[in-house]
Amino acid sequence: MDPAAAEPAPGHFSRVQRATLLPYVMILPSVALAVWIIGYPIYDVAHTSLHDVNRFGQVRGFAGLANFEALLADRIFIESFWRTVIWTVAVVGGTILFSIPIALMLDDDFIGQGLARVIVMLPWAVSLAMTAIVWRWTLNGQYGMLNATLFNLGMLDGPVEWLATAQVAFPVMIGIGILVSIPFTVTVFLGGLASLPRDIYEAARIDGATAWQRFTELTLPLLRPFINIAIVLNIIYVFNSFPIIWVLTQGDPANSTDILVTYLYKLAFRYGRLDVAAAMSLVMFAALLAFTIVYAWMVMRERRAEAAA
Amino acid sequence: MTRLQKSVVYWLCLSPLAVVILLPYAVMLSTSLKPRAEILSFPPTWIGSEFRFANYAEMWDATGFGPSLAASLIVSAAATVVCLLVAIPAAYALARLRFRGRSLYAQLLLITQMLSPIVLVIGIFRLMAAMGLVDQLWALVLTYGAFNLAFAVWMLQSYFATIPKELEEAAWIDGASGLQSLTLVFLPLALPAVAVTSIFIFIYSWNEFVLALTLMRSPDKFTLPLKIFSLVGGAYRIDWEYVMAATFLASVPVAIVFSWLQRYLVRGLSVGAVK
Repeated sequence: MDPAAAEPAPGHFSRVQRATLLPYVMILPSVALAVWIIGYPIYDVAHTSLHDVNRFGQVRGFAGLANFEALLADRIFIESFWRTVIWTVAVVGGTILFSIPIALMLDDDFIGQGLARVIVMLPWAVSLAMTAIVWRWTLNGQYGMLNATLFNLGMLDGPVEWLATAQVAFPVMIGIGILVSIPFTVTVFLGGLASLPRDIYEAARIDGATAWQRFTELTLPLLRPFINIAIVLNIIYVFNSFPIIWVLTQGDPANSTDILVTYLYKLAFRYGRLDVAAAMSLVMFAALLAFTIVYAWMVMRERRAEAAA
Repeated sequence: MTRLQKSVVYWLCLSPLAVVILLPYAVMLSTSLKPRAEILSFPPTWIGSEFRFANYAEMWDATGFGPSLAASLIVSAAATVVCLLVAIPAAYALARLRFRGRSLYAQLLLITQMLSPIVLVIGIFRLMAAMGLVDQLWALVLTYGAFNLAFAVWMLQSYFATIPKELEEAAWIDGASGLQSLTLVFLPLALPAVAVTSIFIFIYSWNEFVLALTLMRSPDKFTLPLKIFSLVGGAYRIDWEYVMAATFLASVPVAIVFSWLQRYLVRGLSVGAVK
């Protein structure tokens, strides 16, 4: 046996001890950074949500669940909540529906495939805030190029104020949300398509399966795990998506396009209700966590059912 | 169906999307090159009476583009370095070493991935205020580094796991110490993965908006997305030719780098998925 390992010098770690400690030493900095920058704020938000805090951030006293009660009694919160549900379902649903055919095309061999991939991925590279700023100008009722172009093409009779009312602005923002979510989703699907076994397609073709049958019977089921991942991650991203709405309407007019994150920001930094906003953060975090757990459970149950069948 | 027919059909299907994606770039170029008087004229036209490149030079001075460009570069580079310094050893430990709590650590990383800065923005603001880091670029460096940790560790460890262990073992047999084999054998092989990961962290930091909006106060320390937002948010008069020129300069270089890199991301995700 290695004598150095058997008899460690006082104050020094033996080689065996060093080997067991090494992984922990290597992950320690990352744990420290995460606890400091992400962990502590979680504690602070939880603490703030249970206290009475003035607009300068000074904690004045324990408030119990008063902040949560104030939140639930807030009409704008409830409206923002339902708007967030619509926003998330519409953007994620639209993104998945568009991304599957796009990924299938981009995975196939055709002339200009590389260029098409670059164009589809482009929105991912640009800051959401800047994308939204350009759209705000493009959608300008009087001077925006969208109205001018649609008018010249004979598709509009007069200028449309795209961002003035929630009825028009919100669907427009959903459209932009879908547009910027497509690149990530297509990337996940392309990764999935690349991992599919090619030989079973050959076999299916020899057995006389049509293209549509190959898609519904082979591609879609095999792609299922990737679709699941894309849905979960997109729901988290879209639920938390702030810049598009903040830049285009700031949740206005009269909070009619607010979703939870924009209303949270207003509560905290515009209306000075840090305590209620902290309670709202916790509710949102709990909702996301519950969603993720339920979804993971559903996927696992499905898989077990498949394994049993 | 021939390859040519297929290509035509595919491009027809993709063209509406391509138009909507490219429209903002056309608008940026069009507006940023028009003389001011023609921007607020009705009806607007795509091409002005002249291509006024002077807009770009005027914008640079009028908006304080230079300091913001510097702030963005410093923050993005520093955040990338901080994140990599912390993520590389962690990814190595995950990919190579067996230890108790390994899966717990992996789950912890996933949770940090699920949290977005906006949900924690109050806590982050109060933390930075307590440390006296509000309006300091360090606040952004630390938060961007921390929120990219999970992504960086995950990307890196999926690449690290594909590097044959035998290469390092051969170095040990040849008498290299653990550190030597790590720096002389392993890291050079892992360099492409490190480069790709760092560029994605850089782009995230370059584009981040909410934290910059919350933590920065002085206009000369605004990162570019915040600077450009400040030109349209709350301003009495919006000089759209400057806004579009600034947006163009801030986004096109990143878009070009990204276009070149996106294939590596597809590869990285598929490698990670096979595991």
